[in-house]
Amino acid sequence: MDNLHLATPEIFMLFASCAVLVVDLFLKPGQRHMTYWLTQGSLLITLLLTYGQVGDTAGTAFSGAYTVDGMSAVLKSWILLIAIGGFVYTRDYIKDREIANGEYYVLGLFGVMGMMIMTSSNNLLTIYLGLELLALSLYAMVALYRSNADASEAAMKYFVLGALASGMLLYGMSMVYGSTGSLDLATISQALTTSDAGSTGARFGLTFIIVGLAFKLGAVPFHMWVPDVYDGAPTSVTLYISTAPKIAAFAMIIRLLVDGLEVLSSDWTLMFAILAALSLVVGNLLAIAQQNIKRMLAYSTISHVGFLLLGMVAANPEGYSASMFYAITYAFTTLAAFGVLLVLSRNGEEAVMLDDLSGLFRRNALAATVMMVALISLAGVPPLVGFYAKLSVLKAVISAGYVWLAVIAVIMSVVGAFYYLRAIKMMFFDDPVDSSEVPARMDVNATLAVNGLAVVVLGIFPGWIMAVCVRAFAG
Amino acid sequence: MSFQLFIFYVFAIIMVFAAARVITVRNPVYAAMFLVLTFFTAAAIWMLLEAEFLAVTLVLVYVGAVMVLFLFVVMMLDINVEPLREGFVKYLPVGILVGSIMFLEMVFLLTQRYFPSENFPAPAAKPANYSNTEELGRLLYSDYLFHFEVAALILMVAIVAAIALTMRRRSDTKYQRPGLQVQVKKEDRLRVVSMDTESKS
Amino acid sequence: MLANYFPVLLFIAIGIVMGVVLLTAGRVIGPSRPNKEKNSPYECGFEAFEDARMKFDVRYYLVAILFIIFDLEITFLVPWAVVLDTISPAAYIAMALFLFILVIGFIYEWKKGALEWE
Repeated sequence: MDNLHLATPEIFMLFASCAVLVVDLFLKPGQRHMTYWLTQGSLLITLLLTYGQVGDTAGTAFSGAYTVDGMSAVLKSWILLIAIGGFVYTRDYIKDREIANGEYYVLGLFGVMGMMIMTSSNNLLTIYLGLELLALSLYAMVALYRSNADASEAAMKYFVLGALASGMLLYGMSMVYGSTGSLDLATISQALTTSDAGSTGARFGLTFIIVGLAFKLGAVPFHMWVPDVYDGAPTSVTLYISTAPKIAAFAMIIRLLVDGLEVLSSDWTLMFAILAALSLVVGNLLAIAQQNIKRMLAYSTISHVGFLLLGMVAANPEGYSASMFYAITYAFTTLAAFGVLLVLSRNGEEAVMLDDLSGLFRRNALAATVMMVALISLAGVPPLVGFYAKLSVLKAVISAGYVWLAVIAVIMSVVGAFYYLRAIKMMFFDDPVDSSEVPARMDVNATLAVNGLAVVVLGIFPGWIMAVCVRAFAG
Repeated sequence: MSFQLFIFYVFAIIMVFAAARVITVRNPVYAAMFLVLTFFTAAAIWMLLEAEFLAVTLVLVYVGAVMVLFLFVVMMLDINVEPLREGFVKYLPVGILVGSIMFLEMVFLLTQRYFPSENFPAPAAKPANYSNTEELGRLLYSDYLFHFEVAALILMVAIVAAIALTMRRRSDTKYQRPGLQVQVKKEDRLRVVSMDTESKS
Repeated sequence: MLANYFPVLLFIAIGIVMGVVLLTAGRVIGPSRPNKEKNSPYECGFEAFEDARMKFDVRYYLVAILFIIFDLEITFLVPWAVVLDTISPAAYIAMALFLFILVIGFIYEWKKGALEWE
């Protein structure tokens, strides 16, 4: 086995997850917080190991099935960081609701491992297995809140449509494999460049792959499951689904379409253009009509997926790095928004309706401020990080010649600003329905503050992440 | 037509028929049984493709294990079949339309001009001492080690998820504790009552 | 290679023929005089109490799914065992890791009480 050291983060995490699972089994009911700390500890160590690879480390291991390159180490670090933040917010929520504690964290860890494998994959089969590892963990996490019928229904919908999407993806992959004769992404790319023989088969497969990807991302017209799952799942799981997996999904798109099928980019840019335009329009318009904040954020996710795909339409390194920046910043901005929702969902109450937000500033000033920062950033108002993300994507799209897409994106961002600002108005100027204070633990407050601050500071100084994103696709 | 082709058509026809019956038959238990037949004929076709290990696995795992699970689920759900049929006629035209469009698209794409079969030549028949299982083992445990380990992880997630989602501790069930049973002392169970002897009246 | 499996094909063919012949023979030769009482559902001499389709306990499902998982594990062991004499030490360790992961899963099962019928 050559280059085994490249996979140190994954190998460590595998053993750490197994340890968490076994330790949790032998804990007495009063020691359950140990599981939480062990989970956070293993994520943190994995993060350190992964962060050590950022920079020059590159290479493949396991006969080319696994790769570390500029993009993978950066994205994995963000995935781990966001997972740590997500678990901080989640802790009290699942304790209050008596959701199976140990299993929740262990499935969360396995999901993170799935995302890391997807990000580091160099082979159609690795991508698929990583995706399935993530997806199976997610289905189970949604269904874990067994006493809640909505969660079971959401899990059912998620599972059926997710399985359909996986089927599409796998069918597409098998067509690509059949027509190029290889599972390895680099070999596929080479086979398509050197000979025209398999290109029709590969195009046929490409269509199915894109349908599968669009399903998984929730791009219109494959978005039907997103609002139902976001709404029905326990808020902690909604947080999990809507943050880190978006980064992994971006990595999956890059691996499949850029590393493997970039030769066919003239085919997939148009498909992405249509998906992006529809997602932007449908997501933003339907979000306005929502009274339920989780559904509103679900439609908002759809519109942001539109933006994410917009950068891919450019089909050049500038567009990819803009999309990468967008995926990362979107993930930690949404993390803050759902973190506030979790703070509000206390004592068995759920914060699901927009009314629950009203007067939040008088109940918990920090949460309200962080929520405001997150929503303004999602709306794309300068100087927050969401503005810069949108700007760089739009720049890439316009320089690639798709002015009409950029126009749609700008108009729809303005429409989108309406519902974000409405929620902010409710938090600061409306009278609270229930004026009791909303307390939060120290660590949750601290994480919220850091998270909110990151949205502001990285908005003013976006250069640091942007430079990393550009480097990931340079050369 | 060679003998092998003849065998293929026999199994393929049975398979298509069984697959169609899976979705048309009324009783879900019969549907599950037709699915067994579909799997079995599929295994035969895989065998014709010289994938002997996969064919045997299909029979063992799918016919042997997965279908048992399906039957349990079908019985556990206690489905009333009639409501499932509602709206069948209503959706039929749309279904046929979408289905036939997809079929035509496939035909259009897969015909000779767009999808030349000379790009995909049939592999040569393997000699009698060829072992598909060995070839599979050699590849699986060298080039595909990583995937193999990820598969173990996925199986583990399945274990955790299945138990976390279905296990319910019931408070009212009675079960034996052998540990306590063997520790029982005479004093716990037996009470010696001393009483006067009774005389015959 | 396929020639090796010709006996299996013969076996299937003979099995089908035998089944069909015996069933038709029974139907054709045997006497058939049905009446209402004979055709009624039979449950130990009583009238049937309820519909034959009743809910199974969810534990059957759990047992079945655990069976599938370990069935698959065995499936992976077969090709490994066949090439055991030629593979590299890495493959050996890989199988050890595979079994280790599933043993962790097994410990989880055991400790959670999924293997007990109560």
